[in-house]
Amino acid sequence: MELIYILLISIFAAALSLLPMGRRFAPGVTILGSLAVFLLSLRVALATTTGGELTAVRDYLSCDSFSALILVLVAFVGLTAAIFSWGYIATTVEATDDRKIRRYYNRFNLFLLSMLAVPIFCQLALVWIAVELTTLLSVFLVSFESTPQALEAAWKYAVLTCMGASLALLGILILCWGLSLSSQAAFTWEGLISAAPQMPPALLYTAFFFILIGFGTKAGLVPMHTWLPDAHSQAPSPICAILSGIETTAVLYCIMRLLPMFQGSAASYARMWFVIFGLISAGVAAFLLIQAKDYKRLFAFSTVEHMGIILVAAGLGGYAAHFGAMLQIVSHAVTKSFCFFAAGATLMATGTRNIGAIRGLIRISPLAGIFLMVGGLGIAGAPPFAVFLSEFSILKAGIMNGQYLVIGLLALFIVVAFFGIMHHINRMVFGSPDILLIDEQTEQTLFGRSIIPGRNILPVTCIIALIVTIIPVILFGIYLPEQLYQLIHHAASSLGSK
Amino acid sequence: MNGQDLLLPLLTKLNALAGGVFLISAFGLVGIRQMLTCLRIYVFQSLLLAISAVILGYYHASIHLFVVAALTITTKVFIIPWVLRQAVGYESYAKREISQVINIPTSLLIAVSIAILSYYIASPLLTATGAGVFEKVNLPIGMASLLIGAYTVTVRGEAVPQLLGILAMENGAFFAGISIAPNLPLIAELAAAFYVLITVLVIGLLAMRIHKMIAKTAVGEMMALREE
Amino acid sequence: MTDKIIFNVIQVIVVMAFAPLIKGIGTRLKENVQSKRGPSIFQPYRDIWKLFHKEEIVSEHSSWIFRFTPYMVFVTPIFVALLIPVLTGYPLFFAFMGDMLGGGFILALGGFFATLAAVDTGNPYGPMGASRTRMVGFLAEPVFMIVFFTVSFIAGSTIPYIVQKHWVTPLANFFQPSHILMLLAFLMLILAETGRIPVDSPTGHFELAMIDESKGLEYSGTGAALMKWGGAMKFFVLCCIFLNVLVAPWGLAQEVQYWEVLLAVPLILIKIIIFVFVLVAIESSLAKLRLFRITEFLGAAFATSVAAMITDLFLM
Repeated sequence: MELIYILLISIFAAALSLLPMGRRFAPGVTILGSLAVFLLSLRVALATTTGGELTAVRDYLSCDSFSALILVLVAFVGLTAAIFSWGYIATTVEATDDRKIRRYYNRFNLFLLSMLAVPIFCQLALVWIAVELTTLLSVFLVSFESTPQALEAAWKYAVLTCMGASLALLGILILCWGLSLSSQAAFTWEGLISAAPQMPPALLYTAFFFILIGFGTKAGLVPMHTWLPDAHSQAPSPICAILSGIETTAVLYCIMRLLPMFQGSAASYARMWFVIFGLISAGVAAFLLIQAKDYKRLFAFSTVEHMGIILVAAGLGGYAAHFGAMLQIVSHAVTKSFCFFAAGATLMATGTRNIGAIRGLIRISPLAGIFLMVGGLGIAGAPPFAVFLSEFSILKAGIMNGQYLVIGLLALFIVVAFFGIMHHINRMVFGSPDILLIDEQTEQTLFGRSIIPGRNILPVTCIIALIVTIIPVILFGIYLPEQLYQLIHHAASSLGSK
Repeated sequence: MNGQDLLLPLLTKLNALAGGVFLISAFGLVGIRQMLTCLRIYVFQSLLLAISAVILGYYHASIHLFVVAALTITTKVFIIPWVLRQAVGYESYAKREISQVINIPTSLLIAVSIAILSYYIASPLLTATGAGVFEKVNLPIGMASLLIGAYTVTVRGEAVPQLLGILAMENGAFFAGISIAPNLPLIAELAAAFYVLITVLVIGLLAMRIHKMIAKTAVGEMMALREE
Repeated sequence: MTDKIIFNVIQVIVVMAFAPLIKGIGTRLKENVQSKRGPSIFQPYRDIWKLFHKEEIVSEHSSWIFRFTPYMVFVTPIFVALLIPVLTGYPLFFAFMGDMLGGGFILALGGFFATLAAVDTGNPYGPMGASRTRMVGFLAEPVFMIVFFTVSFIAGSTIPYIVQKHWVTPLANFFQPSHILMLLAFLMLILAETGRIPVDSPTGHFELAMIDESKGLEYSGTGAALMKWGGAMKFFVLCCIFLNVLVAPWGLAQEVQYWEVLLAVPLILIKIIIFVFVLVAIESSLAKLRLFRITEFLGAAFATSVAAMITDLFLM
């Protein structure tokens, strides 16, 4: 039942946030709603830590451990983003534009609803619709600031991901065809896994490719990633946190669910393609990272890189690598959302997105500087943060398996990205405090209208969100709570290998 | 059953005819210069999709497919052109020429090779599953329309033709889907129909915003966010 | 046996006799559509008669090609008329002399000589029109080839009579997608080869814009009469191929009887007149394409024919 409640709460919150009852009403409703959703999702996750399944409507709404993990992460990032949005939107939108604020929260709730639906639905066609809805409901969030660049980013986002979704639709239809030919199981993830050995292999392979490329467009795999840096940098920071932190991961979840359908010799074929795409994504992103001029774009490229790492880990095969992949999903979600919150704080403090324009952030706004530094270190994979632990476990699993070439390349890309990120962050954070005027970017002046550069005080809610998010970032690098460990353990074994 | 046997060759041929013209309309989307004609071709293609759905519904004796046909006609033939006209505005429509990156004869040749490619991809699938007559027509043609629509999106420089390319992709996916997965639950079909509507609304509104912002919808020229 | 030879001869006479009539009907119909009265449908006969009685002026600078071409243009459609089904549904005496590809090549031979002759006189408009005709010609070649290959592949032969038997006579085959698509492609071809709108304007007098008409610019007297007559016959023959082989092979004589063959004559005329109606409808509703858009038009014809080939070959 919790699953249905989760969906209903989001719908209510979306509807309620349209009511014109003062500036505090809509964000308050949103935060309360996402808090309730988070608590419910924790309950769902606890119910599945023993390896079982929580079913609300048979064959339509159900969660096993992997989807419960994604659900919890979606709810967590949604909660923190809602908290952050309160302060952020209140500061960035003019005081008289109440309607815009209400529309933001309305769309935010709807977007969260669609993202919650992705792990909750288990009937494949509905999962596809949920993934598509995440695109459509977030397009106007990406273009929220209505600058030409934001519109361009939103356009590319909408068009490219819709293209990918249509390709994935054909793949899903082919899977349905194969299912109807070979067994009477329902068209859910488990039904497909049980029916996969009887399906003609040609169907499986073709559907695999279509879904990999189609959903891969939405997950940001290279070479279909061109929309991602734009969309994830032009959106308002809390939305970027959700998009980068958990939305691409949710789509990657759909792709990774295909893996258990390949058993035996076919499995190595599927894993090989995962590794190839993952390595290409990680590599291209790591090198593109170096020349980023905008720090939100920097983090967006880092998202592409991490998607690649997760896919490689899934493709390496074996329980240890899959455990590493799940751990990476968790650590990436919390760390990336933290990074974008820090980026939002920086933006509020300085008024510009340009890396070269900011110097000595730590003196301009100490809080923003510290958070940005921690975020940069965290996402680059420095110890003792969570990402380090997960990347290390992936590399270790690969070396134990004997896949030295893959691990070597992966380690190289991680190191390149590390240096790239740290170079840029260091330039921004340390030095004498200065905000330069870079004239070829027009977004600076536009943003400068509503934010006073040099304003040093971050809204309280933003700080709260940042602190709430930093806890798991540091915590999971040192210690994994027992329940979480069990959840990840079951999720990893659901990927189907021992 | 007896009447069905007599009717079967005729249904097969009609479906094949609808498929052939569907393929031609996919080529037409690539090869036509005027925006209004593109829209009309898309509407015609949706009509063919509905016809094929009716034929398949009759053959499988399934009410689902009739509902799908009815949904297709209402949304794609009536609502979508109206929505596009409201959202994008008449000036965008009155334009005669669509700019594109690759000229039309080359695009047509590429579309032809894409069609051949999709037949090549589909034939192992068809032989592996022992497919019937309807799948043999619908699957390759649907896949071809999907890929040609994807090509159209990358090549065209205007907002509405890119949107039409995406819609053609969905048409193609559905055209293949009605033959290979005819027993998809009704809720999925309903949701898919609404999804198309929402897509058009969203992208149409976005195009309207772009038009308001920069007084033209030539999205191919929006290149501010490129890597240097 | 002798019957078949006689039928062949009757076939040729029908082509020769009725080609100008079809041209006259087409012209009159187009004028009527434009709310004008139009010339009489027998006007082309009077024109040809008049031209035969006029003196022929030939440029000093032209060679034997210029004098030889009118005869070539007149004779090639007659040869093709021997090969194709015009009146009968079964092969006649000369039917196996050449197949569809052979017929195509013979028509192309006539066109080749006409092009050369247009360049021969030194008139500036001749070579312009000739080069444009060649451009349209080479763009139309792949379409011809693909249509013929597909049709022959399905029917298992390249002789028009055999193709027609397989292709359309079972009625169910009429609705095959490849059939309809091929119809479309071949229709576009006819528009291109006979110089109709949207490719070229047959009634235009503006030499700078002429494509097909330019081949007849320099002739006078007997030469002009033969060129006009040959042009009309080429159109008639292409229509016969289109209608009798691809579209509607009904109404052809099935038995070796005189009266059946003679009955087939008005039937074929009716079919061609209906086709002329369709053609006039197309011509009156489209505008002439700009020159370099013709590539797009023929590219669309090519795509259509390849689509027809694909849907047939892969659906087999």
